[in-house]
Amino acid sequence: MKKNLFKIALSMTLVTVLLAACKKDDVDVEDNEEEVITTMKLTFTPVGGGTAVTAQFKDPDGPGGTPPTQDEILLAPSTTYNVSLQLLNETQNPAEDVTLEVVEEAIAHRFYYEPDAGSNITVSGLNNDENGVALGTTSSWVTGAAANGSIRITLRHYPGNPPGKAAADPVNSPKSGTDVEVNFTTKIQ
Amino acid sequence: MKYIFTILLVCSFSFYATAQNCSISLSGHVEDADTRQLLPGATVTINETGARQTTDEKGDFTFSALCTGKYSLTISHVSCDTLRKNIQLDKDLHVELYLPHARRTLGEVLVEAQKGAANTGFKKELNAAALETTKGFSLAEALSQINGVTMLQTGSSISKPVIHGLHSSRILTINNGVRQEGQQWGNEHAPEIDPFIADQLVVIKGVDELKYGSDAIAGVILVEPKALRNQPGYSGEFNSGYFTNNGQYYVSGVWEQQLKKWPAFSYRLQGTFKKGGNVSTPDYRLNNTGSEEKNFSVTAAWRQARFNTELFYSHFATKVGIFTGSHIGNLTDLERAIEAAKPDAIFLGQRTYDIQRPYQDVAHHLLKSKTTFRRGENKFNILLAGQLNHRQEYDIVRSAANTRPQLDLSIATFSEDINWEHPKRNGFNGTAGISMMQQDNSYSGRYFIPNYFSYSFGGFFIEKWSRHRWELHAGLRYDHKTINTNRLKFNGDSINNDFKFSTFAASFNAVYKISDNWRSNISVGLASRAPYVNELLSDGIHHGTATYEKGNIALKPEQSLHITSGVHFQNNAKNLDADILLYANSIHNFIYQQPRPDSAVLTIAGAFPLIEYTQTNALLYGLDLGVSWNVTAPLKWTSKLSVLYARNVSAKDWLILMPANSMSSDLAYQFKNGKRLSNSYVSLEFQHVARQSRVPDEANGRQDYKAPPPAYSLVHFNAATTVAIGKTPVTFGIGARNLLNTVYRNYLNSMRYFTDEMGRNIQFRIKVPFNP
Repeated sequence: MKKNLFKIALSMTLVTVLLAACKKDDVDVEDNEEEVITTMKLTFTPVGGGTAVTAQFKDPDGPGGTPPTQDEILLAPSTTYNVSLQLLNETQNPAEDVTLEVVEEAIAHRFYYEPDAGSNITVSGLNNDENGVALGTTSSWVTGAAANGSIRITLRHYPGNPPGKAAADPVNSPKSGTDVEVNFTTKIQ
Repeated sequence: MKYIFTILLVCSFSFYATAQNCSISLSGHVEDADTRQLLPGATVTINETGARQTTDEKGDFTFSALCTGKYSLTISHVSCDTLRKNIQLDKDLHVELYLPHARRTLGEVLVEAQKGAANTGFKKELNAAALETTKGFSLAEALSQINGVTMLQTGSSISKPVIHGLHSSRILTINNGVRQEGQQWGNEHAPEIDPFIADQLVVIKGVDELKYGSDAIAGVILVEPKALRNQPGYSGEFNSGYFTNNGQYYVSGVWEQQLKKWPAFSYRLQGTFKKGGNVSTPDYRLNNTGSEEKNFSVTAAWRQARFNTELFYSHFATKVGIFTGSHIGNLTDLERAIEAAKPDAIFLGQRTYDIQRPYQDVAHHLLKSKTTFRRGENKFNILLAGQLNHRQEYDIVRSAANTRPQLDLSIATFSEDINWEHPKRNGFNGTAGISMMQQDNSYSGRYFIPNYFSYSFGGFFIEKWSRHRWELHAGLRYDHKTINTNRLKFNGDSINNDFKFSTFAASFNAVYKISDNWRSNISVGLASRAPYVNELLSDGIHHGTATYEKGNIALKPEQSLHITSGVHFQNNAKNLDADILLYANSIHNFIYQQPRPDSAVLTIAGAFPLIEYTQTNALLYGLDLGVSWNVTAPLKWTSKLSVLYARNVSAKDWLILMPANSMSSDLAYQFKNGKRLSNSYVSLEFQHVARQSRVPDEANGRQDYKAPPPAYSLVHFNAATTVAIGKTPVTFGIGARNLLNTVYRNYLNSMRYFTDEMGRNIQFRIKVPFNP
């Protein structure tokens, strides 16, 4: 009797395993972790003290669906800020810090900061990758007099093998492609 | 026929009493029972004496010096079921023999025009000899040798066939009798079929389409393996080749046997391995354009006169690299790439077989069982098939630690088909059938199409009638399809959409043989295709075109009304053949992608233009012209011309991505067979493809970011000879594609944004048959 029960149990288990193997996906939640970046977060820390401010580009459901929302970058005049940039995938809980992946593959990534002429912002002091070429997850922003303008922040990815990233590469280098491109409006007041 | 038999019967009785006579002759004539094609090369054996004859070009044979008595004949032909016939010989006898066609797919269409035989519909084919020069190329590349067939490409290693401007789910591909169910909807999804399986590739239009579905808007492609051996014994074939451009090599082998002990049992083993490195254009080599293919198949059959069953399994696996320089982040990148004369040096120059991201990894399994049996003169076919397709696409990712695919689709399909061929009566000959299909699709990784479960059922009835100069075919088909889709988003939202579609098709075909030289053919057909899941529910960025693609759940089935008419001419000397085909395909509710210029989709990678699946009325019309002329006995000139106009009627505009007009001319010189060398030829082909000037107007929303490339002309070369080494006829071949190393780009290749086409590619090939 015991033997029979064991047999039945074993065959039931096998059938279940088989069914589960065949019918794996219909109950799965969408695996949206692949390469999705939902958020760019900039943190501005004034040099010489003061409260840090942040500005975000947020597209919580990824490309498509609900349109993204975006903060304005609001800075004080004639101030130097240490700026750190963070990319997040908030479709996951807790949110995945994509910046870590970018830093890990620093020799194949590069951020560009392009303030427009009227913005009265200059960006410099980008951190470097291990080859001494700009990476740009941190930077230093200097503001001038009160102004309204915009800044474009671009993350370029070098797909080549080897990546061939060089200091002189312009933002639209044919060697790299765009992973992230966000335009923020800026206001110095 | 009946009368002849009666007379013969009477005659035989009247001679019954005569003494043993051993000077009787037996003559006969063999035809394909279904296509009415004359069958040269059929083997006729008198089982009692072992005497054997092969039929001549007209399908005739003669035995002489036979004695009176009862005999049994076995008649076999590669493309037909073997027939046994008992005869009584008392005096000279002539028999008419009709062999039933072995392949389920034939028994239908017309006979190829090239051979000048009777024709019964629209069929174009590549036979084993024509396929020889395409060994090592993809299925679509082989098919594009057929007039009216072109290719839609992603680089040089991903290609899919286009028939008269239409492709993907508008073409049914029938692999060894089974409707191929993979992920055909994608432009960069090539058919998952090993071309080495095929003994012939056939494109059919007309009534016979109805056997496979009501949705063959563009036509049906049949991939036909060779019939199994029908003589006890074994045989095999080994093929190998090397291509200079990308160092591609292939080896392919077939082994087959019919057992002596159990002649009803036969089997075949087949396998192919193919590997290619980075492809070179005339000026630069493209990194990460290698490919690899590993395929095998097993066939086993039990065949008796009235019962026939076959089990077939095939496995197809490929890994294809995508040119790294085509990786596009957003529209600005695409526009930059288009401006550049050539890709950046970082993506060029590596000579390797290595495949890195981005690449595709695709596997396809097919298991099929086909059983045929006869009850009286009725013939029944039962076809059961299971298919599993697994497609993984590996994109360029941020982290080298990520080994996952970014797109991962699995689709399992089961299909059941039952056909009944009724007895031939008064020139009538027909088939009725029912078919069912169940399909389960699932994905992980990036969303492109949802999980779905789909089931369909349908039925068809085809009747053919022929008498004297006329052949008439007519058929009907109905299909019903249910699709239940499910997408469970990361945030817990569940999106379910259910669809039900009924599609109807009808077809009529008439052939009239005007004279021995002229034959005309006209066909009118109605086909309808249910929208595919990607057209209903796709939702995401298409990186290749830097657009945001959106499906539309309100789509209705598209309905096509097509008229095809053809005239075939052959002169009395039979050295000139001409074929003209005119067609018009009016498609109501044609599904296409319409740009929505006012609603760009803003993402973290910038703004993407939105294109949405929508419906219009389309009209595709054109002509195919083919001429072949044996100028002198050894010299043959073949010329083809193909013209297509594709209108978006509602928008008064052209349709995007349609093949440009093209023509080709081929001059072949066939050498006389010598003592050791036979079947030797050299041929030179000139191909010209015009610039596609018929593209959508930008006023209706920008659909393309680069004007079609200029016209180009290419020269190809081919030569082969067969050397008898011992008893083995070994064939050596050499070919060159793009002999003059011309720099060009092809409108139907999505890589035209980035790179030139492949440069000169010289190919060496060898074929060794064993025990042929």
